[in-house]
Amino acid sequence: MPESGNYMIAGYLVVAVIVVGYVVNLWRRGNESR
Amino acid sequence: MPDAASAGRQIRRGRVVTVIALLGLAALYVMALQFTPPERTMGLVQKLYYVHPPAAYAMQLAFLTTGFCSLLYLLLRDERFDLFAEASAEVGMVMGVIVVITGPIWGRPAWGVWWAWEPRLTFTVLELLVFGGYFALRGAIRDPAERAKFAAVLGLMALVLVPFNHLTVYYFASQHPEPVALRAGKPALPFEMLRTFLTGFGVFTVLYVGLAMQRYGIGARRAIQEATDA
Repeated sequence: MPESGNYMIAGYLVVAVIVVGYVVNLWRRGNESR
Repeated sequence: MPDAASAGRQIRRGRVVTVIALLGLAALYVMALQFTPPERTMGLVQKLYYVHPPAAYAMQLAFLTTGFCSLLYLLLRDERFDLFAEASAEVGMVMGVIVVITGPIWGRPAWGVWWAWEPRLTFTVLELLVFGGYFALRGAIRDPAERAKFAAVLGLMALVLVPFNHLTVYYFASQHPEPVALRAGKPALPFEMLRTFLTGFGVFTVLYVGLAMQRYGIGARRAIQEATDA
């Protein structure tokens, strides 16, 4: 079921982008406020 | 009031926990995508179950923590509870964004629509709006003690939404699936799927802890700065 697979990939990519984005954001803020 | 050294320590510890959580998340991806069989009727998109419910659980955990820290702040007036309530609410918002984006991505192929205004989804949006308001309120008050007090009242009031949201699938005619593992009786999943599902919950718990610790340290530093400027 290739179309179903596309939705799956999109979902997993969204999770990765949001988590990594927030981790980078926190990392920067952690360095800035020093 | 936490001191600068302890704030720095929280950030460093939070980073270590976050890195462990990221490794766990990568392992979860490999487990879910490579080593867990696809479900028969829904196909591959069912694999979103290994990230969407754990993120929803992390969101609920974060908002519950905000509520309890708000209550403790009102009782004890210890600034650290206010700082942790804020940190937890921010992480909860991030988890909430994951939930409301991955939900429709699953819903489109499974339900045929991106979004339905049914109780669970509506309640989740409502919860995110209330916590959005929580940050708007915090941003609008300059005095730290006043801000902590008003934010704690809102955080505590918002606490009621958390269990209610969990119960929407039982109390209303909801389209949203009911819990498959955290329910009375045995989990309705074969072992290979249950293993990955529970790993997801573990990974998101560690991720929540790491992120909230870092955010707490950042908030504590800001509070120290605010006190020095005043």
